[in-house]
Amino acid sequence: MDEVYRLNYQGLTDLELLEHISNQDRDALETLYERYGRRVFSLAVRILSDSVSAEEVTQDVFMSVWRRGATYVSKKGKFTTWLFSIAHNRTIDELRKRRRDRSRTNDDIDDHLNLESSDVSPADATVAQSEYAKIRAAMEKLPDEQKNVVELSYFKGLTQTEIADKTGQPLGTVKTRMRLALKKLRKALSAELGTQV
Amino acid sequence: MTDSNEITENSGELDPRFENIAAYILDALDDEEERVAVEALIEADSAARAEFDELTEAAALLAIAVPTVTPPARLKARILELATSSPVPGPGPLAPMVSITEPSPATRWSRIFQSGYAVSAAAAVLVLVAVGALGIQNNRLGDEIDLLRSDLNVEAEAVASLRADLSATLLDSETRVASMKGDMDQMEDEVGATAAMVVHQEEMVSELAIANAALRVALRDQSWMTYVAMKEDYRVESWLDDNQAVSSASGIFAVRVIGNEAVFQVNGLERPKNGFAYTLWLLGNGDPIAVTQFEVSEIGSATVAFLLPAPFFQYSSLVVTQERIDSVGSQPSDVQFLSADAN
Repeated sequence: MDEVYRLNYQGLTDLELLEHISNQDRDALETLYERYGRRVFSLAVRILSDSVSAEEVTQDVFMSVWRRGATYVSKKGKFTTWLFSIAHNRTIDELRKRRRDRSRTNDDIDDHLNLESSDVSPADATVAQSEYAKIRAAMEKLPDEQKNVVELSYFKGLTQTEIADKTGQPLGTVKTRMRLALKKLRKALSAELGTQV
Repeated sequence: MTDSNEITENSGELDPRFENIAAYILDALDDEEERVAVEALIEADSAARAEFDELTEAAALLAIAVPTVTPPARLKARILELATSSPVPGPGPLAPMVSITEPSPATRWSRIFQSGYAVSAAAAVLVLVAVGALGIQNNRLGDEIDLLRSDLNVEAEAVASLRADLSATLLDSETRVASMKGDMDQMEDEVGATAAMVVHQEEMVSELAIANAALRVALRDQSWMTYVAMKEDYRVESWLDDNQAVSSASGIFAVRVIGNEAVFQVNGLERPKNGFAYTLWLLGNGDPIAVTQFEVSEIGSATVAFLLPAPFFQYSSLVVTQERIDSVGSQPSDVQFLSADAN
């Protein structure tokens, strides 16, 4: 009986699950976590290089969904866009807090590009690997300068002025490269945006 | 094609008014003023809003551009447990998703006013723009406030629960400390009593030792007095020391001048073991002769009168041993408690 109940939840859309959450339906939150918890956790691990802190960030993100999911409006954007934005913001906040505290150091990004999942199911791994491969391929097609700007801002939490100082580029050039990089990704992955995200 | 060519080629297509939208989405702006300006622009300009939506979707793809790592199972359990203890705020009017970044716009406005930025001329322009946006955002801010208020209520309940737990823990600790202090006081009393008993016993031992020494002196004096009393009729044939004794015994041996009577007086003997009695032997005139068995007093002394089997000068020595009562052998035991030569 429980299995049937869970299968019914699996068939609900993200928006339908959010409506259940607004009625304090914990099973709906569990279903959303099962869909996207690994993504959020992986992003936090990638940026923080610390699984313990990544757990805290992931917990905060899903508690935000639990408390504020009712404020989400689908016509303004996809749920995953909203979710990953919250996850990224929360993770960058944690990263910058660390820098201010100077209590921990973050290793170079490239050291963590090869993190591999240890216990992902074969089916999930196939889907994840497919998405990952497409997006990484799109990123690899970006000019190095644009790709570097995205890496430094999105994954290392540097501001545009900090990136300009680090790379020796004019601030205006950094701003332009950020915009171009995102626009190119958007264009290259338009099919993905229509289905996966 | 180089990146600079790309920029040159594409820059013409980029509206310079929107130059900070990408950095806003990537959370790469340098300060709150820039954030507020971008939010006001998005609210006021549909083209800006369109660019924002477009780039936001692209940025979300970056979250997928990382290898997946499976979180530990305990994380899901913890989140669901927190959700159980943290009720969802009541349903209200759905707010438009304008700001997707943290902290909330309400917080940002607060920071700007607190920073004193509003008093500067440049800030005044920005504030006017932002105030225009405030009307649009009013409902959303209200919702945000409601949510924050709800969060605060949840946190307040958690703090109250924690405070109750701490109070209970503190009270329990105080009770346990008081109990331990009572136990320690009792132990201290018992130790004190034991120490007093030890001191008392030591004093008793000391007093007994003094009394024993006094008794020994008195006994020696009594021996002298016995000797003096008997000297008219007896002569002291030997003054006996414990030259080979296994105890601290000593004694006097006196012989009546006329006749064959003798008196033996001894001091410092321990109580004999059960079934045994001290036995006086005369040696040196044929076989050893056990002339008598005798008891000793509480302080280890005895005065024994007996008849000599032969004149005293015929004996060479005397010994005191412990022999079985009424079952004395022909030879004295090896252990001699007193032994002396007859001079």
